[in-house]
Amino acid sequence: MARYAMVMDTRACVGCQSCTVACRTHNNLPVDMMYNPVTTVGPEGVFPDLHMIHIPLICMHCENTPCVDACPTGASQRRDDGIIFVEEKKCVSCKACVMACPYGARVCNHEKGVIQKCDFCMDRVDKGNVPRCVQTCHQKARTFGDLDDPNSEVSKLIKKHNAVRLLGELGTEPYVFYIGLEAQIR
Amino acid sequence: MNRNVDLEQEGIEIKKSCCYFCHQNCGVNAYVKDGKVLAIEGDPDFPTNTGGLCCRGNIALLHLDHPERINYPLKRVGKKGEGKWEQIPWDQAISEIAAKLAAIRDEFGAEAVATAGGTQRTDDWARRRFMNLFGSPNGFHNALLCWIPTFMVETAVCGWSPFEIDLGSSKCLVLWGQNPGASSMPEMHHLTELREKGLKIIVIDPRFTETAAKCDMWLPVRPGSDLALALAWLNVILYEGLYDPDFVENQCVGFGELFAHVEQFTPEWAEPLTWIPAEQIRESARMYAMNRPGNIQWGTACDQQGKPSGALMHARALLRAVTGNLDAPGSDLLTGPSLEYITDEEMEGNEFLKDEQKAKQIGADKFKLCTWPGYSKICETTKKVWGKVPTAEWMCEAHAPSVFRAILTGEPYQVKAMIVNATNPINSYGESKLTLEALRKVDFLVTCDYWMTPTAVLSDYVLPIAGALERPTITSSYGCTDFLLASQRAIQPMYERRNDYNFWKDLGVALGQAEHWPWETVEDAYFAKIEPLGYGTENYDQFVEWYRFHFPEREYQKYLRQGFATPSGKVELYSSILEELGYPPMPEYTGPAENENDNPELAQEYPLVLSTGNGFMPFHHSEHFNIRSVRYINHEPHFQINPETAKEYGIKENDWVWIETKRGRIKQRADVTQAVAPKVIITERGWWFPERDINEPVLGGCLESNTNVLTSTSDEDCDPISGTWANRGLLCKIYKVDGKEGK
Repeated sequence: MARYAMVMDTRACVGCQSCTVACRTHNNLPVDMMYNPVTTVGPEGVFPDLHMIHIPLICMHCENTPCVDACPTGASQRRDDGIIFVEEKKCVSCKACVMACPYGARVCNHEKGVIQKCDFCMDRVDKGNVPRCVQTCHQKARTFGDLDDPNSEVSKLIKKHNAVRLLGELGTEPYVFYIGLEAQIR
Repeated sequence: MNRNVDLEQEGIEIKKSCCYFCHQNCGVNAYVKDGKVLAIEGDPDFPTNTGGLCCRGNIALLHLDHPERINYPLKRVGKKGEGKWEQIPWDQAISEIAAKLAAIRDEFGAEAVATAGGTQRTDDWARRRFMNLFGSPNGFHNALLCWIPTFMVETAVCGWSPFEIDLGSSKCLVLWGQNPGASSMPEMHHLTELREKGLKIIVIDPRFTETAAKCDMWLPVRPGSDLALALAWLNVILYEGLYDPDFVENQCVGFGELFAHVEQFTPEWAEPLTWIPAEQIRESARMYAMNRPGNIQWGTACDQQGKPSGALMHARALLRAVTGNLDAPGSDLLTGPSLEYITDEEMEGNEFLKDEQKAKQIGADKFKLCTWPGYSKICETTKKVWGKVPTAEWMCEAHAPSVFRAILTGEPYQVKAMIVNATNPINSYGESKLTLEALRKVDFLVTCDYWMTPTAVLSDYVLPIAGALERPTITSSYGCTDFLLASQRAIQPMYERRNDYNFWKDLGVALGQAEHWPWETVEDAYFAKIEPLGYGTENYDQFVEWYRFHFPEREYQKYLRQGFATPSGKVELYSSILEELGYPPMPEYTGPAENENDNPELAQEYPLVLSTGNGFMPFHHSEHFNIRSVRYINHEPHFQINPETAKEYGIKENDWVWIETKRGRIKQRADVTQAVAPKVIITERGWWFPERDINEPVLGGCLESNTNVLTSTSDEDCDPISGTWANRGLLCKIYKVDGKEGK
């Protein structure tokens, strides 16, 4: 069984928000909803000595899942391959998972009355494709693959660049890894 | 692409289409069934985007059937701009427009009909062909703001424009006024990869951009002062002996004159003009000259400075030449025109336009390089060496601001009709108030567009045009390079939309040009272009399905075999073509169109330096403001201002602020950021508000936040060589919008 992970190379990301738009189109989200915002940090410093970085955010697909644990109805689930998803017909929109997620990755779809989130495009992944955000990224800033395969691109990238996880101290063990954060955030 | 659409159902075809929302024309796979596009995604096999699509590309299906799209020919029935329309059949529209144009030609001459274009999303050779056959020399684009002056100056100096960069083995890339991180996404990806392998990148830009954040050296030049920087680079490279003596000796003429000429332009001289410390000017010049081979990538900013633009492009061309960075591996390449397929120029029918009509081209007496006088000269030499000449559409056009003035003043003669195709001049051409008055005044106005824009609403006829997925496309860098990328239509045009090719052809046929339009469909015309390639396909679609691209084998250093396509056969550091046209043969220093040294009184009233800004996500020019799914990313217009300056003016983040030049004022919200220098104001361009009333007098709020209200198109502010007008390096003042005026 694979364990799916995504690597975000912040050295490559230019904050164009293609991923945000592609994701929303693929998932048919209303205009005020997004699964994967891209945040811009900077420009910081004093002109002309500046630095700036773009950080794509997304559901972190944690190993230890505060959101799944908080869900009273069993709508939030984790698959064996690590993908965390919401089974919409079981969701009562109580927002317990929204509170529990330390990454702010869950959003309420007010039109449908359910909580939604990134599920790594499991419809595509199950057919052997990469998630839509990965496919659309001009900069190839996102890489998706199997962490259990030491030869997969994600495994190699994580090893080579000593990729880090966001809020690692919380012990949620996310499956989304970042390259280039230390060098650029001073 | 939507997860609820089953792409494995039976009967789905994948069409090799492309995106059309900027010039990149990224390859797109369109999933089509029963004449409907179910989904699109970036084509992973397309050489430029390799599967990527930006946020604009990803909303293609929303664009395809957006409720605000124009889908049927419309004829004005009320007063001009009143918004009362009658839906009519295409045949009626074409015959009525043809009759009106014929009447104007009979009474005022063919030159009284002008056409305006926008970005390259249209078959411009077809427009040119129509105009040539009709007899008018007065077609134009925003071309002067975008590469064309560069192309022509570089061609005058070295026989073609080195539009293609060869980065594989390059050691240094200069991005001069270019921000691929927001406007050229496929290129940006390669830069990130190459930089990891050691490519040095220098970004010259007043703004700390997405790209500047990822480069080796950022030069935040004062807006409009790039010429001083280029001249100082020449000084450093020549006087520190960093030039290529072999190339200069064997391949160039005029080195002695240039050496003497640039002595005056020291980094210390340039420092107060450019606001870049002399030492950093030296370091950057060394970085470019000592990391050879290297490239200088073109960017629009240099074409948009008005008065100093031509000399700036000239100086930049000389930088490549003295370092030998021309047509060698890893450096700027001179592809020349394609000798293997029929170029755009060969489709244009320029031979149909009589000399007496060429002589009437508006602006050709003032701005000689990008009009018939300069274009003809350049054609003589390129024809001799390459056997072919540059595209005339783009390179040889009427001077747009002068045409708008001709409508208003009747000088040099009255222009009575305008056909506007794929552009919204009020937002995209200079001095918007003047442009708007011209469009209000012109006797007869026809607009071909996707949307009811502020320009379209003033028209007598508005015609619905097919978009990217509804039409085929050939990409060959404006017909000026040797390769070709081909895409097919995913579906036939929806509703009653048509290709612009069909518009020009049908109009031509209605005016008696039938024998000169042998191609029934645009695919037929494209097939005629590519047939000489010898791929043996039976039609255009088959070529796309089987081959799609044509990349000829690359030959470097062609000058060793054929010389350079200039009168002397060498790179002319001392340009005989510019001299014969009456311009300085070597780049002279000229300050920005408005600046505190040359215009001290003006600077007292307008103390801040304005740049009208480059492309920004998610918009392209004045387009996409209608589409909520991208508009949410940047809902309202913003300008950039340094915190120090903002404090001085009592301006806080997100305040509405008036920005005023002596030509008018606009309001945008403040983005208080260190990304720009104190005293610099950088606005966003393109803004109008489709959500407001589009009819007179509101016109979608087309002047309210539109930065082109601030720009200058007066003859004295335009570049004398090319005629490009001034968007950068102007003086402005700012003040807060008071409560009553705010929104």
